[in-house]
Parts: sequence; structure tokens; C-alpha cells
Amino acid sequence: MSENNGSIRHILIGVWTAAVLLFVFLPSATIFLASMTSSRYFTFPISSFGLDWWSKILNSLEVRSLAYTSLSIALSVTIIAVVLGFFGALAFARYDWKGRKLYQKFILLPIFFPQSVLGLALLLWFNALGFTLSWKTAVLAHLVWIAPVVTLVMAIQVYSFDPSLEEAATDLGASRWQTFREVTLPVLMPGIFSGSLFAFLLSWGNFPLSLYTTGADNTLPKYLYAKMVAGYTPGVPVLGTISTAAAAVLLFGGYTAMLFLTRKRNAAA
Amino acid sequence: MTGTSEPILRLKNVRKAFGNLAAVDDINLSIGEGEFFTIVGPSGSGKTTLIRMLAGMERPTSGDILLRDKRINDTPANERPTCMVFQSLALFPHRTVGQNIEFALKIRNVDPATREKRARELMQQLHLPADYYSKNVTLCSGGERQRVALARALAFDPQILFFDEPLSAIDYKLRKTLEKELKDIHRETGKTFVYITHSLEEAMVMSDRIGVMRRGKLIQVGSPNEIYSTPRSRFVSEFMGDVNVIPVESNGAGSVRSQSLGASFKVPPASIEGKAQCLVVRPEFLRFLSSPSDAQNSLKGVLYNEYALGSRIQYQVRVGEKVFLVEKLRQQPFKGSLDDEVLIGWDPENSILVADE
Repeated sequence: MSENNGSIRHILIGVWTAAVLLFVFLPSATIFLASMTSSRYFTFPISSFGLDWWSKILNSLEVRSLAYTSLSIALSVTIIAVVLGFFGALAFARYDWKGRKLYQKFILLPIFFPQSVLGLALLLWFNALGFTLSWKTAVLAHLVWIAPVVTLVMAIQVYSFDPSLEEAATDLGASRWQTFREVTLPVLMPGIFSGSLFAFLLSWGNFPLSLYTTGADNTLPKYLYAKMVAGYTPGVPVLGTISTAAAAVLLFGGYTAMLFLTRKRNAAA
Repeated sequence: MTGTSEPILRLKNVRKAFGNLAAVDDINLSIGEGEFFTIVGPSGSGKTTLIRMLAGMERPTSGDILLRDKRINDTPANERPTCMVFQSLALFPHRTVGQNIEFALKIRNVDPATREKRARELMQQLHLPADYYSKNVTLCSGGERQRVALARALAFDPQILFFDEPLSAIDYKLRKTLEKELKDIHRETGKTFVYITHSLEEAMVMSDRIGVMRRGKLIQVGSPNEIYSTPRSRFVSEFMGDVNVIPVESNGAGSVRSQSLGASFKVPPASIEGKAQCLVVRPEFLRFLSSPSDAQNSLKGVLYNEYALGSRIQYQVRVGEKVFLVEKLRQQPFKGSLDDEVLIGWDPENSILVADE
């Protein structure tokens, strides 16, 4: 009887898990399916499958330039956000100073601002300051939102950092710089790593901030939106699929690399 | 208060205040070259602040710290020829055992071959298996990590080694082993060790001298035997384990009186004057008597309970409101039943008068 109950419970857990996964991943899968059509419009069910739109998109110069712009923004944001976030996280979680509590609250606030409002506000500022809008202003805009996120992600790692490690290094004769290079930086490396993944992926997929602040330059999410509003082709889901897949590959690749490095380090025994 | 040899470290009126609170208050101390000196105190007594000042991680508010007669108050930790084993051990988790031990040598740009040779020597000396050299330090057991931390500090070749309660998180049996090993290492290296702990037992096992700290002050310094047998205050005597403490008043020469017990006791001649006093008698010096004339001081009570403490048995005897502890060797137990009326007593030379503080 109880064994029976157990197996029913297992089945129910399985069904529930599958339902949740379906709910989360089905939309993205649909995009992929929609890209596999050879007709001009999106119809469901798909009448004729084909990869025509994939080859069109992959060979399009416009798409390459879009990807290039998105990549430039994401990489710039990643580098700057990681540097800001690293020191921000040390200030957030490692050192005690006057005003730290206030800083902890204020630095997290932008994460919860509606991004469309934040984008508009930044646009107003850029105009007021006389900046010409381009992908570079978008980098600034992304940073306002992403640097706090990265700070938070890294602060989690810094919280678990034993401050006596730095003291021990100093006590063993290391200068400030040597302590930083030999101990602080490598111990916090996993946090830096996940922080950069966050920065890159959040910037890569960001639409609301880019919409207001890229000016004449165009990013992938912005282009997708424009095409949806006017001029839909199955090229849109193709691009959407590529964009999502790139993020997934980066995430899994990064995770695997991290796992590999940890294993290698531990297996050195 | 000087050590057995030339002092290597001297503290003059050292004080450290955090706001209005003096964590360390007016400490004067000399520690001898090659001495194993232990500072004992309960948590919050200021011992950690003191050792952090000695190691260079805190700066004294006032007073002087002298290392071989050179003032080192303002010398940062990385320029002091001393090294500390931390309570958390602070081993570098991203490094192997070998890399941890070699850290100080790497900082000094010693070539890798010499570094490895030295690390392997230390590993052998500290009973670490040779194949641990390239093992990640996070995979080592508690005892192994202790040894790595000690090896890392020894590789620095410090003039003084500080220890900030490194054994406090280790289970009893392993701690006993490591205490003995540490004392052996002290002998082998001949270095000066300054150790802090809240465990008197630990201090007794290892130290040449012990300093007892309370509320930022060093209240007594002496050999383990002196601290144990001639404590100067009630606090020190109670810190050193189970004792019988009787608040008393002076009652003329060689005699004191306890109000609560309604009895007078003979005390040793050299006793303190002034302040409120307590008479301290250790449980092993209390005896069961068959008649009051068997000892110079005696009390009548009721046998209340008994506890087996390994090699000894401890008896609780109630005299009025007060409970006295009497200890006997396991081989010679007291033959009596609970609730029996018993007579206990001691001789004056086995008791001491201490300040009631």
C-alpha cells in the first residue's frame, strides 16, 4: 500500500516537474519551430518545413552588423561592470565604513526601477548633456542597471570570503598589492566569473534600455521588436533562436568550464 | 615578571581603546627568548585584541611594544619578523598544501626548487604525508589543516610565533595530540611561542608561563604551577577549575571567620590584608574525617551526590546552603551512602586567602 503511494507520489512529482519545464521552455521552443518554415508568413501548424530563412539570415550583412553592435555593447558592459562591481562588492560586503548601510540600499535600487522609465530618463539626460546617441551611450545606460546587479552577484561571493585570509597573507610578508594578486583576486574568481556572465547576458538580451539609448545604432533585441511591429518575416524567429541559443551556449559553456577547473584543482592530489 | 632568559618582547603600558571601551588596559609584560607563553582569559577579556596588536594587525592606542628593544608599534604586520597561526587557520583555499606552506618564501622571491625543498622538510617534521604536497588544502582533515597552518608559519622563519586559539574547534582527542606536538615543535625549533586560549587545560599542558587576562587587564602572570596553587584572586582560582571558595572576614592573626557558615578557620600565616577576602580550598585537599581532630579545620555536612571524573571521584557535600566539592582517587573511594552525615576538613597550609575579585 505504502509502496503504491510512493510510486504515485513519484509519478506526480514527475508530472509536475515536466509541466513546469514545459511552461518555462515551450515559448522558446515555439520560436525555434516558427523559424523552420519555408513560407512567407507564420502559420500554425506549419505547412512546409525548410531552412530557407536560416540561410537568408545567416548570410545577411544587416544581421551581422546587428550582432556586432550587440556584442560590442555586451562586452564593454561586461568589462566595466565587472571592475565596478568587484570593488563595489568589496565595499558592499567586505569593508566596514561609514554610510555602508545606506550604500547597500541605494546601489540595489536601480535593479527594481522599471527599465522603460529608466531608459527614458537616461535619454533625457543624454540629450541635456549633448551626447550623440550611439551604442556607446547604450553602454552607459546598461551599466546603470547592470552594474548594481553584478555588484550584488559578486557581493554574495565576497560575504563568504574570510577576511583573515588577507591578514594571513599580510602577516606572511605580502604587500597590499601582493595580497590582492595572490589571495583576494583568485579567491573571489568564481564571483567575478558569474558576475561577468550576468553582465554579458543581461546586456545581450536587453531591450528597454537599448530602445531609448542606442540612437542610430541597432541591437538584436531592438531589431526583433521593430520587425515584429512592422515587416514580420520568419527571419525574426530565426534571429530570436540564434540570440537565445547564444546565451544558452555561453551559460552552459561557462558553467562547464568552471566545473572543469574546480575538478582539475581538486584532482591535483 | 621577567622570563627565564633575555626578553625578546616587552610591553609597556599597552592600551587599546575602541570608543570609550578599553579592550586592552595598561598591560606590562616581558616575554623571554624561546619561551612558550600563554595568555588565558574568557571571551571578551581582550586577549585576541592583545595578540593582534603584537602581530601588527591592530595599533595600540597608547603604550609601547618592543621587539628586542626596538619599538614596533607602527611597523605593519608584513614588515614584522613575526607570524601568526589564526583561529580560522586562514589557509588559502585556492592553493595546494605545498603552495600554502611556500607562500612566505614565494613572497620573498625564493626560487621554486628551494621553496619545495623547505616545504617538504616542514611537512616531514609535522607528520604530513609527502604526497599531500600537491593536494588541495580544502580536502585536508581538521588535524592536517592545523599542521599545514603551522608549517606555513614556520616556513616564514619568524622570531616569534603567535597562536590565536587555533585548537578551539578541534575535538578533544585530536586536540590533546596536537597540544603535545606543538610543545615538541616548540622544543625542536627553540622559537618563542605566544599562545592565546580560553582553555586553562590547554595552557597548563603546553606553557612555560601563563598570563591570566580579565576585562582587558593582565591580572596574574606565573608558571602553570604558580597560577594553579597560588592564585591571587577568586577569579583566577575559579578559572583554574573546580574550587571551594568561602567568603571570609579577617578574625585576628592566622584566623578568618565565615558569616554564612558561622565558623572560623585557621589560615596560612602569609595572607593578604585589606580588601574583601575569600578562602580557597581545592577539592583534592578536602578530606573526609572520622573525627574533628583529624584536621585543623572541619565542617559537618551531608553527602549529597557523587560524580565519576575518570581517575578521580568528586563528592558534593552540603554544609547548610553551601555545597563543598571533595575529590578522591578512584582507587580510594569514600565509603558512605548518599544523605549520610559526614565530616570534612583541611589543613591551613592547603588553603589560600585570595582577593574577592
